[in-house]
This record gives sequence, structure tokens and C-alpha cells, in this order.
Amino acid sequence: MLFLTCWSCLAAGVAVIAHPDVPVQTLSHNALRSIFGMRLRAWPDRQPTRVFVLGDQHPLHETFAKQYLSVFPQQLRRAWDRLVYSGTGQAPTEVDSEAAMRRAVASTPGAIGYLSSDQLSPGVSVIEVQP
Amino acid sequence: MKQNRLPGCIATVVILGLGITSAPARAELFSWLPPSVQIHGFLSQGAIWTSENNFFGDSEDDISLNFRELGLNASWRPFPSLQFSSQVLSREAGNGDDGDLRIDYGFVDYAFIADMQNLWGLRAGRVLNPYGLYNDTRDVAFLRPSILLPESIYFDTTRTLSLSGDGLQLYGERRNDWGDLFFQFSAIQPRVDDPETEQELFAGDAPGDLQPDPSFLSRLIYEYDGGRVRLAASALSINVDYKPGEMDFFQEGRFRFNALYFSAQYNALNWSLTGEYALRNFRFRKFGPALPDNTSTGESFYIQGTYRFTPTLEGLIRYDVLYADRDDRDGSDFAAATGLPAHRRFARDFTLGLRWDVTRSLMLRAEYHNINGTGWLPFVDNPDILGTEQHWKLFSVLASYRF
Repeated sequence: MLFLTCWSCLAAGVAVIAHPDVPVQTLSHNALRSIFGMRLRAWPDRQPTRVFVLGDQHPLHETFAKQYLSVFPQQLRRAWDRLVYSGTGQAPTEVDSEAAMRRAVASTPGAIGYLSSDQLSPGVSVIEVQP
Repeated sequence: MKQNRLPGCIATVVILGLGITSAPARAELFSWLPPSVQIHGFLSQGAIWTSENNFFGDSEDDISLNFRELGLNASWRPFPSLQFSSQVLSREAGNGDDGDLRIDYGFVDYAFIADMQNLWGLRAGRVLNPYGLYNDTRDVAFLRPSILLPESIYFDTTRTLSLSGDGLQLYGERRNDWGDLFFQFSAIQPRVDDPETEQELFAGDAPGDLQPDPSFLSRLIYEYDGGRVRLAASALSINVDYKPGEMDFFQEGRFRFNALYFSAQYNALNWSLTGEYALRNFRFRKFGPALPDNTSTGESFYIQGTYRFTPTLEGLIRYDVLYADRDDRDGSDFAAATGLPAHRRFARDFTLGLRWDVTRSLMLRAEYHNINGTGWLPFVDNPDILGTEQHWKLFSVLASYRF
């Protein structure tokens, strides 16, 4: 199972990244889903989670949503819209390129996002995702 | 009813202004705000034509443009466990809503347990009423499955009362390997200040006033696989007192509305299937001889399918049924007792709709309803009940913008 999941992550070529001060190195599939579903408000050390995503149509966003969250981008969007327009939550911050994603996550405390595996840089830490 | 249009006009200008600025320009405009503040809004304009009867204005054999929704909402999360949220709305919908600005919701939300698996908290203020799948975001055209929600469950005639109330809401969420659970319990004073509520309740003006009484609502939602399957059960008890006016034909009465809702939804990549069922119990007590004590139980249900032909084009098909009294489904007892049309006690609505998401912010819609019955026809648009027709058609188009 673990082998299969890691293989699929490699195949997809997407890595989950975070600001270096985020006090977490590994996340379960469920925890990742609650973070990108905008349901987790703070990290275990109480600093606010800041979620960054690419646009709904961006191929990397689609791959990330399907591979890591097992949902389609429009399901994610609908869940965010429900939170925003009912006042019960907030939407993630949208960036328009992988370069902008890398910059935003590296410079925002508490930030989490994702990048293509070949776009990683030392400014961000990679989060290992367990099934 | 349309005395003061100014606030609505100002809201239109503000939202249009924000709407036509590009996303980066808007980000620039709000850049002085801390990242913990978010501002969103929407604007919808509908047009309605009906073959018979009026819906949202003078629509009979004519086109009514009296259907407009403008909303602006803001949230601020100074700490992870604390959030302030509010939405201001101007809504015009025939004679039922005149476009005045009002607060749909405005509450402070404090989460006292928040970890990877659990989120528990309390909301205080004007909170949204938790029932069914669509009530919480019923004003946002983008989040409705159709231009008009299934009226048998989401009556537009009692919208204000249905939408939100003033009080407290306890909520809890738990994430499990086998799915997520969401629970809400509200204790509120219902909003009875909307004149349409009284008109719909008594089929006309009454000399006295409606007074809110403590009311309770709760809902449990189960979601599997990030929302692929959604199941919900909701229960509510809404209580309203009547305070007689001078020379009133009613005495000091009580109105109670108890209801149970069951909802199910399946979301696949290109299609979704949704069904909801409701049992609705009405009790009128102590209004005196003009309105003898009575109890009736109504029944509502709909089944709805959507199919995405392309990523931006979606079709809808729905069959929606309302019985005001399940022991008198054809309304014949009602007609015999009151002399009013039997078709006022039921409605069967067959709907076809099309949605085009031109961009992520702009949506166009068209929809056709073939309706048998006038069970949810707004009284305020059709004060001459005897002149209403049993069989009617409704056609509507709508444009909606959001940011």
C-alpha cells in the first residue's frame, strides 16, 4: 500500500511543500484533506495555517487534487464556496504560477502548498504524505 | 412597498464597481487589509415569464425583471480560533422583497476544540439555519443547482424566516477514516419581521404582530470521500406567537412549525444525483373562532439530476412535489371547507435547466418549469387567490457575477 502510494506520487511528480517553520514533517491523507478543505485553522503550535493553491484549471492543481485529496477541482471549489458564502470559513489564497507558489510558501509563516517535484528549492520544506 | 430604493442602488454601484475591476486590481484595492480579512460578493439579475399566475412581480404573460440579488460578505479571523463573519443583502423578488438592505447573517465564531480530527465551536449572533443541503447559501446563484431552488422545501415565500435567526449555534466536526461528520444545533429567536411571513401565514394582512418564540434546529451531515456522498438529516421546531392588534378578529395565538428533512447527494465527475424529503407539521393554536385550532402535516420531496456536457455547460432535470396536507393531497377537503381552489394545497413542478459558466466569475442560466398546482405560489404576487390557475409554466433566465 505504502509502496503503491509513493509510486503514484512520484508518477504524478507533485510534492506537498510548507514554510520551513511549519512544525510538521509528515501528514496523513485525511489531515491533508482537512487542510486543503480549509477546515484546519491552526498547526499544532497554534500558528495559523495559510493555504496556497493554483487556479482550478491549472494542470498541477488538478493532479494534486486527484492524487493527494482524491477529489476533483470543482468539488474542492464547491466546498470552499460553501464555507465562504455561509461565513463559516475562508477561501485559500490563489497564486497564478509555480514560481509565485514557491515565493509565497517560502515567505509566509504557516504556509502550505504544492509544487512539481522538479521545481523544489531549499526555501521550502517537503511534507511527506502517508496513506 | 418600494419607498426607498437608494440603499439598493448604492449596493448595486459598489458591487458592480468591485466586480468590473480585475482580480489583481481588487487585490491591490484590499491590500491594506490584513490577510485574515476576506471580502466576497455576488450580483444576480433574473427575468421571469409565466403563462399564468405571477411569480416575483408581474410575470403573467409578461417579463418581470423584479428578481435581483446583491450580496457582500466579509470575514475576519484575528486568531485561528476566532472568526467574525457577516453578509449584507439587498434582494428584490416581486412584491415579497423590496430590495432594502438587511443583514442575512452576522456572527462571532469561537472554536474551543480544533485539532487534526476535531473542530468544535460556538457561534453567536444572527446565525444561518441549519437544514437541508442548500439553505445556508440559498442566495448565492452560483451555489444553487437552479435559478429557483426546489420550492417544496426551500420556499421563497418564507425566505427570511427560513434563512437565519438570532441566537446561538453549537457546531462540531469530526474527520474519520470512514468519512466526516458535521453537526449543528441552533437555539434562536426566529425572524418574523418580514411582512411577507405574516401574509403567507394568514393569506392576508392581520391587524396584530408576529412575535418570535425560542426555536430550535439541528442537522447532522455525513460526507464520504470529500463530498462524493453527502447524507443529511435535519430537524427543526419554529415557534411564533401572535399578539393581537386593536379590534382584532384573532386572539393571542401560537403558531408552531415542526419539520424533519432527509437529504442525499452523490457527486461524480460529470454528473450528480440529489434527493430530499421533508415532513412538515403545522399547528395553529388559540387564535379564537376566526381560526380554529388545527394541525396538518405536509410532505415535500424532489429528485434532481445534473449532467456536465462540457466543463462549463451543465444540464439539470428535476421533479419536485409539495403536498400541504398529506391527508388531503388533492386539496378537495380544503376546497370544500374554505371555498378556495384545491390546487392551492399542492404543486408538482417538472424542471429543465441549463447552466453556462462563462468564466469562473460569470454564469448564465436558463430554466423551464411546468407546474401543476399553486402550493408555493407567493400570495403577495397573487392576492386574488380565486383568480389563480392550476396549470402554469414558468421560464426564467439569469445572469450572475461573483468575486
